[in-house]
Amino acid sequence: MKFVFFHLMPYPYLPDDFDEKYTSMSLTYPNSHFDPEKGHELYHRYLDQLEWAEELGFDGIAVNEHHQTSYGIMPSPNIMAATLARRTSRAQIMVLGNAIPIRDNPIRVAEEIAMLDHLASGRLACGFVRGIGWEYFAQSINPTRSAERFFEAHDLILKSWTETEPFEWVTRNYEYRYVNIWPRPLQKPYPPIYMAGSGTPDTMRWAAKHHHVYMSVIAPTQSIKGWFNGYRKAAREEFGWEPGPDRFGWVTPTYVGETDKKAIEEARGPIEWYFHKSLKQPPGAGNPPGYVPLDSMKAALSRGVRRIPTDNMPIEELIEGGYILVGSAETVAERIMELGTELGFGTLGVNLAVGSIAENQAKENIEAFAKEVMPKVRGTVRGDDPPNPPSARPMAKTAIVSDARKGGEPRTPS
Amino acid sequence: MTSTSEVTATHEDKQLETREGVVHLLRGGAGQPVLYLHGIGAAPGYWNAVHDRLSKTFDVIAPDHPGFGFSDVMDDLDHIDDLVYHYLDLLDRLGLQQGVHLVGVSFGGWLAAELAVHSPERFASLVLAAPFGIRIPGHLPTDFFLMTAKQQGQALFHDPAKIPPADPADAVGAFQMYKNLTGVARFGWVPFLSDPKLERRLYRVKARTLVIAAEHDAVVPSEITERYAASISDAKQHTLGGTGHALDAEVPEAFAEAVTKFVSTGEEA
Repeated sequence: MKFVFFHLMPYPYLPDDFDEKYTSMSLTYPNSHFDPEKGHELYHRYLDQLEWAEELGFDGIAVNEHHQTSYGIMPSPNIMAATLARRTSRAQIMVLGNAIPIRDNPIRVAEEIAMLDHLASGRLACGFVRGIGWEYFAQSINPTRSAERFFEAHDLILKSWTETEPFEWVTRNYEYRYVNIWPRPLQKPYPPIYMAGSGTPDTMRWAAKHHHVYMSVIAPTQSIKGWFNGYRKAAREEFGWEPGPDRFGWVTPTYVGETDKKAIEEARGPIEWYFHKSLKQPPGAGNPPGYVPLDSMKAALSRGVRRIPTDNMPIEELIEGGYILVGSAETVAERIMELGTELGFGTLGVNLAVGSIAENQAKENIEAFAKEVMPKVRGTVRGDDPPNPPSARPMAKTAIVSDARKGGEPRTPS
Repeated sequence: MTSTSEVTATHEDKQLETREGVVHLLRGGAGQPVLYLHGIGAAPGYWNAVHDRLSKTFDVIAPDHPGFGFSDVMDDLDHIDDLVYHYLDLLDRLGLQQGVHLVGVSFGGWLAAELAVHSPERFASLVLAAPFGIRIPGHLPTDFFLMTAKQQGQALFHDPAKIPPADPADAVGAFQMYKNLTGVARFGWVPFLSDPKLERRLYRVKARTLVIAAEHDAVVPSEITERYAASISDAKQHTLGGTGHALDAEVPEAFAEAVTKFVSTGEEA
């Protein structure tokens, strides 16, 4: 099992009257509620946690992209990854991911990821996501083009990393007369690609076609099982290959306490903050028109598919439904092994600095997971992560930055 | 997006094959041709009380826009200009070269204005009812995309009693609503429900024009209807009382009456 410390970097300080005054902490929640002094402290706290996670033995540290929200204060995940690249030396730095359809210029994403791969000495993992509903309002991108732009930007970025002659890319979405990016990525042909998925059949098929790692969004266990199986079926029947656990990732809020009971009580505040407050989208923004293609919407409506709302679900039901991992180290480890076998994922992303968790509590949670859960699970589920497609490149040249991350003098180029 | 009260007149219900896909078109009545371009109030695809009333005097041609109602999504059509050419082709196909009366509501009002700018010689009259289309910074239409279905109903109607009840079990209705909103978004997400170049082109309109504002329009600011009236030469203005933006669904009789009077006589109601 590959363990990833997954960070959203929430801004947790809400006013007392938040629930009465605001329907969501995204898009229209005034940024007067962002206190720059507190924000500054948070960035450094969160980056410290990510760096510390490497010391504690996590295999990956993950950042991601969100806009105009206190749900997560990383509009640019690539900047976060850049700070981590020079301060860590072993863990995979995972950008999960760049929201490529809401960027006007996918070539810029290709360039930044390629740069990051060099800064991280080939430790970069590159995720691509669609962006959340409200972000189509926030970035003024037409949601009716979301899926099309996602697939196309992906194709363009991958081609820009692999083509060795300048080329032209002209479509209704993008027009480039000269694509010829410098630098090319360090990993060959490019960093491993991760996709976030929420069960849309087209995306699953497409991820399977490209052999990309499929990471589930937060959902009940039974849904995720169906999605992973959809990927496997497509891989097997349409594309003729058998995906191992390394092609699947599960990301979930996680809390480890002394006992199950204590864990539930301690996690209740931060976890319920996360589900009841931070996941709420502004009215109508959850599914902007066209974000879900018409065919998929028609099929979902005729099947009567309803997403179960989690915005009032107590922590006990969230555990029961498989949305979160909460309990003693033994319980959490057993649950991971159980689900790892049942769902067949080899990458586990744990959101340990979850929601409104206090600084010390987060520290204890991260440490408990690393020291008490990871050793119990290690080696029980196969989850190797070969670059995609496979490459022989080792995690090379890591010694270059080892002094810098200890706070010493940066290495002088020799 | 709502359906209106029961109607009685007979009408044709056609599926027209076009270059880009199938257009669903309703047509009824006899007399001078009226091309009726729907908006976001009364649901496209259904013969409604406005069509019915107008068809007593005119030959009413009421198509669903590409990607709305029961017309196909036509993937290449993603800009208001594409709809202009789509409708010029449709009029050619119907043999309506000249003398067509254009009636556009809401989104359809914007489209009607674009058509009258493009081919001023083809249209005998122009009615723009609560139209989108002119971009005035600081006076954009209300963002009904950022609303729940319930809030959308409240924004479209002045009288809450007129909001059609939602049936959660109606999967077809829910899909049509999503399809229609997606249609509006396809052409109007950005620039937001407008063509920044439209206003300075409005001088080209030759048709006699009536701009109708809804008295309690919570979607289209009055600045937009006023700007239309000021930019089109000799345009008349009329305010329809007791209605929100969805005037075709909320006060269909009064709306149809105002349109009938203006199209027939050139007089405002």
